[in-house]
Order: sequence, then C-alpha cells, then structure tokens
Amino acid sequence: MRILILLAALFVLPASAEEWGLPQLMQSLAQVQTSQGKFVERKHLAVLDVPLTSSGTLSFRAPDHLEKHTLEPKDETLVLDQGVLTIENKARNIKRTLVVQQYPAVWAFVESIRSTLAGDLPMLQRFYKVELKGGAAKWRMKLLPLEDRTRAMVKEIVISGHGDRVTAIEMLEANGDHSTMTVIGETQ
Amino acid sequence: MKLRGYLAVTVWLAFVASCVLVIARTQFTTDMSAFMPRDPTPTQKIMVEQLRDGVVSRLILIGVDGAPAPVLAGLSKRMAEQLRAAPELAAVNNGEQVGMEKDFELLRDNRYLLSDAVTPQRFSAAGLRDSLNYYLDLLATPMSGMAQRVLPTDPSGELIHMLEQLQGQAQPLVQDDVWFSGDGSRAMLLAHTRGAGNDIDAQERAMLAIRSAFEEARKGNAEAAGAQVRMTGPGVFSVQSRAAIRDDALRLSIIATLLISCMLLLLYRSPRALALGLFPVASGALAGIAAVSLGFGSVHGLTLGFGITLIGEGVDYAIYLFTQIERNGSPQTTLRRIWPTMRLGVLTSVCGFSAMLFSGFTGLAQLGMFSITGLVVALATSRLVIPHLLPQGFFVHTPAWLGGALMALVRAAPRMRLALFLVVAAALAFLVFKRDAMWNDNLSSMSPIPQEALKLDEQLRRDMGAPDVRYMLVTGADDEEHALQQGEELVAVLRDLAAQGMLQGYDAPPLPSRKAQLARQAVLPGELELRRNMGEALRGMPFRSGTFAPFAAEIAAAKRQPLLDREALQGTALGLKLDTCLVRREEGWSVMLPLRGVKDAPAIERGIGNATEAPFVLLDMKRETEQMFRDYRHEAASNALLGALGIVVLLFVSLRSFRRVLEISMPLAAAVVTVTALLLLTGHTLSIFHLIGLLLVVAVGSNYTLFFDHRCTSAQDRERTITSLLFANVSTMLGFGLLSFSQSPVLNAIGSTVATGAVLSLVFSAILIVRKDD
Repeated sequence: MRILILLAALFVLPASAEEWGLPQLMQSLAQVQTSQGKFVERKHLAVLDVPLTSSGTLSFRAPDHLEKHTLEPKDETLVLDQGVLTIENKARNIKRTLVVQQYPAVWAFVESIRSTLAGDLPMLQRFYKVELKGGAAKWRMKLLPLEDRTRAMVKEIVISGHGDRVTAIEMLEANGDHSTMTVIGETQ
Repeated sequence: MKLRGYLAVTVWLAFVASCVLVIARTQFTTDMSAFMPRDPTPTQKIMVEQLRDGVVSRLILIGVDGAPAPVLAGLSKRMAEQLRAAPELAAVNNGEQVGMEKDFELLRDNRYLLSDAVTPQRFSAAGLRDSLNYYLDLLATPMSGMAQRVLPTDPSGELIHMLEQLQGQAQPLVQDDVWFSGDGSRAMLLAHTRGAGNDIDAQERAMLAIRSAFEEARKGNAEAAGAQVRMTGPGVFSVQSRAAIRDDALRLSIIATLLISCMLLLLYRSPRALALGLFPVASGALAGIAAVSLGFGSVHGLTLGFGITLIGEGVDYAIYLFTQIERNGSPQTTLRRIWPTMRLGVLTSVCGFSAMLFSGFTGLAQLGMFSITGLVVALATSRLVIPHLLPQGFFVHTPAWLGGALMALVRAAPRMRLALFLVVAAALAFLVFKRDAMWNDNLSSMSPIPQEALKLDEQLRRDMGAPDVRYMLVTGADDEEHALQQGEELVAVLRDLAAQGMLQGYDAPPLPSRKAQLARQAVLPGELELRRNMGEALRGMPFRSGTFAPFAAEIAAAKRQPLLDREALQGTALGLKLDTCLVRREEGWSVMLPLRGVKDAPAIERGIGNATEAPFVLLDMKRETEQMFRDYRHEAASNALLGALGIVVLLFVSLRSFRRVLEISMPLAAAVVTVTALLLLTGHTLSIFHLIGLLLVVAVGSNYTLFFDHRCTSAQDRERTITSLLFANVSTMLGFGLLSFSQSPVLNAIGSTVATGAVLSLVFSAILIVRKDD
C-alpha cells in the first residue's frame, strides 16, 4: 500500500509541486485507508486549576469509522461509526449512543476530524471556512465555524500535519477554553 | 282512489315527513363507542375513555415525503410555523428546538423540585464528590462546553440527571434541524388536536388545517411539487372511516338503486310502478334511522351504512306484490293471496333481528332496531299504501320463455339433492375441522379501517419511535395530589422492576406531588452544612476556587421557592406530557403510566402488588380490546342462535307442521353452512359482520323458502311466484353484491356474505322444497 502511494506520489509530485493546496492535501489524505496512533490531550478549562490531561489510542478507517480510546486517567471509548457516536465508560457502566446529526455542535466538531482524515473537503467546507498554510511536508489548517450555533461553542480548530498524517488538533472554544491533542501516528 | 286510499296515503306521508324531521335533528357518530359494551368493567371504562377523549386519541402523526431531504425539512419548518398558530391544534412538534427554551428554563429553575435524585445523600460530601467526578468525565468529552455552563450553579448534577432521563426516551432522527424517519426519506411532525378524539368534526378540521398548511408551505416551490403529506392517528382513522362509509354507502347505494331500477323498469314497463316499488324501501330506511335516533339518542355511521343493505330486502316486498298480480287481477286480490306468506317472512326476519335488539353492545342493538323498524315499515307500506297508488289494471308482463324455463329448472332441481347433501356435508366437515381458526378477534378485522391505513400507521409510528402503547399502569384517587402520590409509589416500584430487566422503561408524570416537592425542599442542606460538604468534596479536586460561589445562594432560594403545579407546566412539552399522564375523570383523577418493553405482564403485576399498597390496574390494551370483541362476538353468536330458535318456534306456531318447518329451515341452514365454508375457503376469517350477514341471509332466504312452500292456486300462479322470487333474488344480489366492492371491511363482509347466501338460499329452496299445488 505505502509503496503504491509513494509510487503515485513520484509521478504526481513533480508536476504539482508548485500548485500544492487544499485539494491536493485532501486528495493525499483521502488515499489513506486506515491509520492508527497514540494521542495525548491537554484541556485548559476555565473551571479547572490544572489542565485535564488524557492519553490513549486513536484509529481511523476510511471513510467514517473513528475510535478514540482513552486509557488514562480513565478507560473510556468514543466510537464514531457511520454517524453514530457511542461513548462507553466501563468504570461507570455508562454506554451512551447519539446520532451526531441531532447535535449540530457535536456534529461539526466530529466532522472537523473525520472529514480531515477522510479527505472529505465538501463536508469540511459545509461546516468551516478552511485556511491552509505551509506545504505538503508540513501544513497547518485553520477551521473557522460557519454556523452561529457552532460558533457559540467553538472559535477555531487548528489541525496540523506532515504529509498525509495528522499530528496535532488544537481547539479554541468560545469561552476561552482551549485544548491540544498531539498525535504520534503510525500510518499503515 | 277511495277515501280509505287517501287516508292511507296521507297518514303515510305524514309518517315519512316526521321521520325526516327526526333525522334532520339526529346526531351521527362514528367513534368506537358503538363497539363498547353498555356496562363496561372498570378496566374497559378506562380504555373506552382513553379511546374517546384521552390525549392519545388526540394525536396526529404527520409524514411529509416525496422530495429531497432539505426540501422536506423546509416544508416541515414552514408547516410547523403555521400550525403553531392554528386554533385547531393544541401543540405541534417537528423536532425543531423552537419553544424548547421554555422547557429548559422550567427544568433549570425548578431542578431541586423536579429531580427525583434529590435525596439527603446527594448533598453529603460523598454525594457531591461523586457528582463532581462525573462532571470531570464530562469535561473530557466533546460535551465539555455544556457541562461547564451548568457546573457552577448545579454541582449536584440535577439538570444533567433530568436531561439524561428525557434523552433515554426514543426520539426520531434529526436532520436539518427537524425530525426524519430512520431512512431520511420522510420528515415527521407530531400534532395534538384541541378537540377530543371522538369529536370527528374537530378532528376533520384539524386534518384540513394540516393539509392546507402543507399546501401553503409548498406553494411556489418547484422542488416540492412531488411532495406528499400523510397523516395517521385515532382521530384520522375516525375521519377516514366516516368518509369511507359515507362515500361508499352513498356511491354504492346510488349505483345499486340505479341498477335495480333499470331491472325493475324493464320488468314493470311503468316508471310509476318503479317509483312505487322504491317507496317501501325508502320509507323503511327513513323509519329505521329515525327509530334508532329516538331510541339511542344518536345514530352510528355503521348503522347508516347498513341502511343501504335494506334496499336488497325491502325492495323484494314490492316485487312479490307487483309480479304476482294476475292479468285482470287487482293488487288487493293478490295481496289477499300472498299476504300470509309475506307476513310470515317479515315476522321471521324480525325474529332473527330482535335477538340483537337486546345486545349489550350499542352497535348491535342499533342494527337490530334499524332492521326491525325498517322491515316492518317497508312491509306496511307495501301492504297499506302502494296498492292504492298502483295504476288500474297494472300487471307485469314477463316473457313466456322465462316462466317456462324457470319451471323446467324448478322441476329438475330435486334431482340435485344428493349433490347438495354431499356439498353441505363437506362444508360442515370443513367447518368442524376449522372451528378453532374461524374467528378473527383482531382489532383490525373489526375496525372499519382499511388495511393500508393500518400499515401506514405502523410505518409512521416506527419512524417516530412512538410504538403503539400496549400496557398501561393506571392508578386513581379522589384528588390530583393523591393520584400523583400513588403514581410516585408505583414509579418507585417500576424503577426497581426495570432495573431487574422486567421492562425497558415507563413514562411518568413530569409533575411531582406536592408531598414529594416538599420532601425534596426539606432535604436541601442549610448554608453552613452545604459549604462544609462542598469544601470536603472539593478537596484534592482540580476545580478552580470560587467556581461554585453561586451554589449556596441557589440552594437557599430553592428551599423557599413556590411549589410547582399543573398550571406552571402549561405551554411546554412537559405540560403536554403531564396531560397524557394525569387525567381528570368522572370520579376523581387518574395517573397513567405507559410501559415500554414489557416482557412478562403477570410477573410485573405480581411484583407491584407485593411491593406496594397503592391501588393499581395493569391495563393490557391489546388483550382488553380482543376480550371485548370476543365477548361482543360471543354475544352476537348466541343472540343469532336465539334468533334462529325464535324463527323455528314462530314457523311451528304458524304452520303447525313439523315436516314443513323442517323443509323450510333446511335450505336456510344449508345456505348458512355453505356460505360460511366458502368464506373460510376464500381466505376470510369471520368477524361479527359476517355473522350479521348470515343473519340477513336467513332473513332474505326465509322469504324464498316460504314462497316455495306457499300453496298456489294454479300452475300460472306458481310460475308467477317463482318468477317473482327470481327478480327479488337478482335485486338482492345487485344490492349486496355491490357492497362487496366497498373499501370498508364492514360493508364488504356483509355484502359478500349476503349476496352469496341469497343465491344459495334460492337454489337450495328449489332443490329441497317440492310442493304439490291444488
């Protein structure tokens, strides 16, 4: 798989190196069928003295299966599959499913990650104004919510990456809270 | 016309006019109440009340489909906007968060009164710590924004607790802000009518309002050209079945009248005689409706629909009279000859129907009264009025070949006896074989609602995630407060039973009793205690100091806040839900708790009985309606048997010959057995309407057997008699045969049963009755 992509890149890169932009980034992200990685997330919240730190694993299978398995400090899984978000906390014996489309703010947030990983530009642009900086090797994509409802909660989301890999997701919330998730990936 | 004639006609006209007057002031109903017993058990009473004007009966489910989802969403929003202002509707919901702020505010401002989690432990240091830990978990999820907003004023988590309880209930999918079916092809709305479920006019106005809101919403929108609106609900069913019965009854009776008229015109060759022939039927039907109206206070739509079935039999009397007048004879001499037979025929029918008159079910009793009055009046008109109005020298020319052919057939008929016995024996054996699978006590077989409408209802309910409620736990008391208290006791038991997995869930009234509210206020801690517990709970937690500054003041205010009552919930979704759960009844108040996912109803009943003293009834709507219909059918069957017995006694008294009674009854019994077997063979299961049809077969058929048995004065006389039977039979077939084309299962059942039965009765009479004339 990787060899194929590299081969393809060999043919494509020389011609389009100067015209690298959002469509090209999305195209290369869309090539990735599955990816896995570890994450560390730090959430700075107004009501907390110290940031909430959590860590675990992330995995994605194109186009719409995303799993966030938090191992520390509490075991919790968050699975997005075909638009249904399942939150499971074994310690508290809580299992909750919600259809993300019913919660526009949650949906917008979930799509920021899923659309990016799936290289789904139309969906991304349905919710956000997308600003891209950098080049194919190292890029930084700023997402500004279009809908008022989402804006009331999220100010901006910044996703950065190397090549076809996402390395960090930062979110600035409307109330001043912000969080950073760094991803150490092993793309397959 | 002689003086007596004038007198008879005048009296008759006055009678008809007074019938019309009564009918003009009559109230027509189509609700299910006609199917309800006149002396219901307490359980049945609750159910009947619910069906009649319970909140569930006011529900209309609306589906909009036939266009792309965003277009449907737009239609749904515009419809809802218009319908929210419609006077016909009390509430409209399409999933939009419009008006939900009110509910949210109500929950937030009264959280310490409303939350069932408010207990002393909840505000201890350990309890608060638990809740704060839960908040920390929430803060780590994408829902952190919402959690943070309520955290400072509600650290014990009442609002989240209540929202989670509400979330737990099934909700349809939301797309583009409005409710959609699971596959996204249909936008869904839910409306509650202001009028009661049995106020069909109000239901019809509500449906009209919905339809016009839909038309208004799609006006000028090319993309919505193919869009359709569909509705379902108890009220919608009533409106539709009323329309179906009314339309069918009207349409089919017009067609039947036209066809029968054509036949009679060919036969009589006199428009005047034709008109006269229809007078007995018309007077009979009018008198029947008027009698039911006077006797019962209102007339059910079914009774009215049944009226057209009288055309079939009522028209026979005039046919017998007209066709049997001899050349150079007069109506009077003819009547003198055939009157005893006609009279006995009507008495037989009256006997059959009178058993229904004493039925415990309004619907059956109405049918009985209608038929008896109708038949007696039709016969009386034929006997007393029509002869005076017939033109001098009127007689019916029948083609000579017809009479000859008929007589040849009748003479040959007895050769078929062996075949007939074989057929009837086979039919009887088949009935015995099928005896357990003969009856259909399903509501759908009884209800006048077409199968398609029921399917749509099921579909829309599934889309809405609102399954038909089958089990309901009901308790009641003299006043609202005690009813609510008992409800709370039951809810506490249900919570345990649900935790044990005996049921999936239940709906509870969103208003706690005053007692419960006061108890909750009482457990809220004082300021000192609260600060101490909070301080202890926060030790070692990452929350920023000062975050919970507003909490103490909130609790202090909650301890003094006025209690909630029914009034306070009005205008919110919670208020609407309260109206479904807490109902004022004739005597006192009832609390209704719909149960979901019930696995073992008797076990639940036992579990509740063991756990609480509170009085309760576990209502199984399905079992209860089926039981009711079974009772209904049993009663109708035993009434019909009584009627049959009455007929035999009547025949014996008037004929005084065991052999003749047997001869007259045999063709009828054979016809009833064969028709029943035929119905089962063609895939029908029998409902009470087939039973009524069979009763009609006996009523109509008894005329045939009596005329076959009737002693004739000459061969010509016999030929005329047989010819008149043929024409009477054809008119019955036309009248009832047309009914089998009706959309309404009720009219359909009666139509196909009687049309087949009448033909068989005639043929069987010819085969079985051989009369030597003088």
